[in-house]
Amino acid sequence: MTFVVGENCIRCKHTDCVAVCPANCFYEGPNMLVINPDECIDCKLCVPACPAKAIYAEDDLPLEQQMFLALNAELSQLWPNINVQKAAPEDAAQWDGVPNKREMLARE
Amino acid sequence: MSAVNPLEVRYEPSARAQGFLKTVVNGKYNRQIITGLTKFMDGKVPEDMRTFYTSAELQSLVALRGSPRDVEARMPVKVTRHYFELAKTSRALQTLVKASPKETVDLDGAPDPGKQMDYSPVEGLIHKYELGLIYVASTCSAHCRFCYREELIAQKEVERPDGTVAPKGLAQVGEIVAYIEEHNRIVAANGGRHPQTGREKLREILMSGGDPMVLANSNIATWWAALADAGIEQIRLGTKELAFFPQRFDDTFFDMVDKFHEAYPQTKVRIMIHFNHPDEFLLRDADGKYISDPRGGLQWIQHTQQAIHAINTRNWITLDNQAPIINGINNDPDVLRIMQRELRRNKVENHYFFCGRDIIGHKAFNVPIEEAWRILNESQKGLSGVETHARLSITHYKGKTEVSAVTNKPLPGVPGAENGFVVLKLLRSAASAPERGKVCLVGRNPQAIWFSGYDDRVLYDEAGLYAGIPTTTEKQATA
Repeated sequence: MTFVVGENCIRCKHTDCVAVCPANCFYEGPNMLVINPDECIDCKLCVPACPAKAIYAEDDLPLEQQMFLALNAELSQLWPNINVQKAAPEDAAQWDGVPNKREMLARE
Repeated sequence: MSAVNPLEVRYEPSARAQGFLKTVVNGKYNRQIITGLTKFMDGKVPEDMRTFYTSAELQSLVALRGSPRDVEARMPVKVTRHYFELAKTSRALQTLVKASPKETVDLDGAPDPGKQMDYSPVEGLIHKYELGLIYVASTCSAHCRFCYREELIAQKEVERPDGTVAPKGLAQVGEIVAYIEEHNRIVAANGGRHPQTGREKLREILMSGGDPMVLANSNIATWWAALADAGIEQIRLGTKELAFFPQRFDDTFFDMVDKFHEAYPQTKVRIMIHFNHPDEFLLRDADGKYISDPRGGLQWIQHTQQAIHAINTRNWITLDNQAPIINGINNDPDVLRIMQRELRRNKVENHYFFCGRDIIGHKAFNVPIEEAWRILNESQKGLSGVETHARLSITHYKGKTEVSAVTNKPLPGVPGAENGFVVLKLLRSAASAPERGKVCLVGRNPQAIWFSGYDDRVLYDEAGLYAGIPTTTEKQATA
């Protein structure tokens, strides 16, 4: 199993998860974070840490977000590792909970 | 009781720590972990894992979901590819890692074994003796079903001495450093003992959890540098990763270890490992038999032995094994004999064997105390002196207690000792170091799996393990 960063991370990107991850398995894209599923150790500390409630256990990933399982695996290979928390985007709050953010996912 | 507000304690690494930390490289590890039973049920595990649980086993486990007997709620299910490979041909290792409905047949046990919350001045720190234990992770690469930290791993609600209820939290570097420095300052200012608690300087910190080896190298390094800067002389690291994923002990780890030693040459590291059974580290042939090494001893799993040898080439690190004796896993003198011999041959000290603790569900795992003593004693017959350093320990709320001896002969004139007696000796008193070495004698009860099994037959109690309970002689005198 792994934990998966889902859609609501897009344009929120708070990085509180990075501060609590013991295995440093988060990777950072332009407007979203992802988890490397091979490096995740299934501790679930990131789930309550996320202010946007964007992280799910693989088994709990909502049906309409299943694509993020493969996206986390793919993008964690392309993006750089992030192991220090940083400030969220200034407009993070206004994007929290906005539907269909997946269209805004910036790969590079 | 928490003396330090986490928001006010931000850890700033020293210049020396920063110099060390910037050299640390994180390795990448793919443990191929399977967590939970859902993937087994849905057939989503790799092909060769699909028969690890039979469908009947899965059905009986799933039937308990959501009930008080839910085995996954008691202790999350988790296994690595490495451990699966070993367990698929080892009944003992399957018992260690596979969930079973037996675990929750009897839910008797303590919600906070060892009453750790009574010794926790700061979140994530247990301060007993001159040793502090810190929780730095709340998971391991795989999970032992008998885990005595099930309340931490499963993040159960635990009551604190002040009446509040919350899951046990993890230690934070800033808070722990502040506590150590303040404690040691008070001790130094008061002639070597803390005026309120009587405790000495904190010299040693045990990193525990969970397994610290699930942390990235940089996180382990941050702890080590911070503890060394705080004046800690020995850092212990308790891990079962040599059994679950020995590949974690890779070049990047040892590079960090060596850089740490360059930066902090006076700080020693004690790695406390956890092998329960030789199947976790020895090679087996097609018949399941261990394979003789023509150069002597038995052949080891390559990754595991490489890791142990790499640790042993660093003379400022020691290796000790400690493990509980668990029903269906290692309650066998032959198993323990091979384990003690092979570990010692490879420069691993045999430190403790433990009687199982009174965790929730302990009746599924624990071996009776007198039986555990017999098994260890049998296993040590025919071993050389240096191979028999391990003692049998049972953790009383007062502290670690040795089960020193069990006799068959009656003690004439002493009521309760008609079938012989058990000698218990306090090895460490959590609250008061001078109590070490004090003895308690109890009449035999071959069924006893916890101290309470002797409540009605306390013969002599210098150690105070049965405070408030009269001895059999006292009871006779008042009868």
